[in-house]
Amino acid sequence: MSETSAPRHVEAFVHAAGSLAIGVPGGATGWQGTLLNIHIAPAASYEMEELDEAHCVAGRGIEGDRYFLGTGTYSPKPDTREITLIEQEVLEALARNDPPLQGGPINLAPIDHRRNLTVLGVPLNHLVGRRFQVGEMILRGGRLNFPCKYLEELLGSPVYLPLYNRSGLNCGIERGGIIRPGDPISLVD
Amino acid sequence: MSARIVMKLKVVEAVATTPEVLRLTLVHPQRPELPSWEPGAHVDLRLPDGRTRQYSLCGDPADRGRYVLAIKREDAGRGGSLWTHNNLVAGAVAHVSQPRNNFGLAADAQRHLLIGGGIGVTPLAAMARRLASTGADFTLHFCARSAEQAPLLPELLALCGDRLRCWFSAEGSRFGPAILGSPDERIHVYACGPQRLTDAVQTGLTAAGWPAERVHVEHFVPMADENYKPEPFDALIASTGAVVHVPADVSLLDVLSQRGFAIPSSCEMGVCGSCECGYRDGTVIHRDVVLPVAKRQDRMMPCVSRARTKVTLEL
Repeated sequence: MSETSAPRHVEAFVHAAGSLAIGVPGGATGWQGTLLNIHIAPAASYEMEELDEAHCVAGRGIEGDRYFLGTGTYSPKPDTREITLIEQEVLEALARNDPPLQGGPINLAPIDHRRNLTVLGVPLNHLVGRRFQVGEMILRGGRLNFPCKYLEELLGSPVYLPLYNRSGLNCGIERGGIIRPGDPISLVD
Repeated sequence: MSARIVMKLKVVEAVATTPEVLRLTLVHPQRPELPSWEPGAHVDLRLPDGRTRQYSLCGDPADRGRYVLAIKREDAGRGGSLWTHNNLVAGAVAHVSQPRNNFGLAADAQRHLLIGGGIGVTPLAAMARRLASTGADFTLHFCARSAEQAPLLPELLALCGDRLRCWFSAEGSRFGPAILGSPDERIHVYACGPQRLTDAVQTGLTAAGWPAERVHVEHFVPMADENYKPEPFDALIASTGAVVHVPADVSLLDVLSQRGFAIPSSCEMGVCGSCECGYRDGTVIHRDVVLPVAKRQDRMMPCVSRARTKVTLEL
């Protein structure tokens, strides 16, 4: 953790993907989800650390996280990375080797996938260009997350292909606040 | 180098094993088990300024609960060992990468000859523990100035018994590779220590007819980036025979894109793995953190990696 550059986040609804998705009708509505886990890492490659409570800052990220501090692997590249989410349902699909894209089941634990929030019952792929609420925080879906080989190399596990197209969501924080595991998640608009 | 997880480990013990060598025992504050490793492995220790130093694991590979490092204070060094000696006391936090191994035991050897000089004994200590526990045939030659200045000596004596041969120069006793005898296909030799020792081992054994694949030497190569200065080179496109010139200040990926090659790319900093491409015939300077070592002989990341003078690309 040497010099920290000021984080350069692209506002979620300005992002090339988010800006196109706003106002386009469609997507699942009426769902209710739950926040299961919160993880942050202090810098690129550092092991993730689980939090019982996180302070989230609008336009910036989770206090203490590498993308809040500007110490992340991808921090030098302007992008929407204030906070990242992944579905528990995806982790369960990997654990049952579904679809069978790799040699066998992969146990990708919430502490290992390197997204900040593990959520249950939230259709993340439908939320680009949408606003939704996690506890008292309001998020804007900026773009679909995309798996990287770096994660595969870090974990020593072939997660790249099985995460393709279900790797989660990169969001901007419109309204910050304190979040905790168990917080409800719902669509705003 | 390739990407490895960095952990914040807790120092549970820091003791002097010689006046200059600190022996550190590290545990994970949350997880009962640390990532597994094989004898000969090393970790990167991160300094507060972001630099890293490589240290071999010298404890018992069968003990998943702790890592043991021995670090010599180098007063004339670059500052890493001094920082360590001054700051890594019991209760302190050490930022340590997952282990990596470039210096493993040969699976097919029937006898192992280990040669350690000074602090270079650390990876050999882990090897000796494994070999002793499996009942393998080995001898550890330990070169140091004196017994007082030989790191880990009491534990190595207890572990190896008469399989430890000490060469203390203050007592006029000096190791020479001739003692290793003539080449024997059942024997592998491992050396770690000051360069004059490893050079002497390699030169002596080569002259005696030992094949290079049975003589293993640990080298700690400085991180590629510390003083890296890009130089121009030429890339030959295997399918067309075209040669493209890559100036010093432009990446290979950018040159290829300008020439119309549709290579997927994303991070353009050697971490995402998108732009991987094949090569042959050439010396590639790998500067990414994502490509596994095993793939580096014929694959490269053109966003950050370059070549010396020329390279042929599988495009």
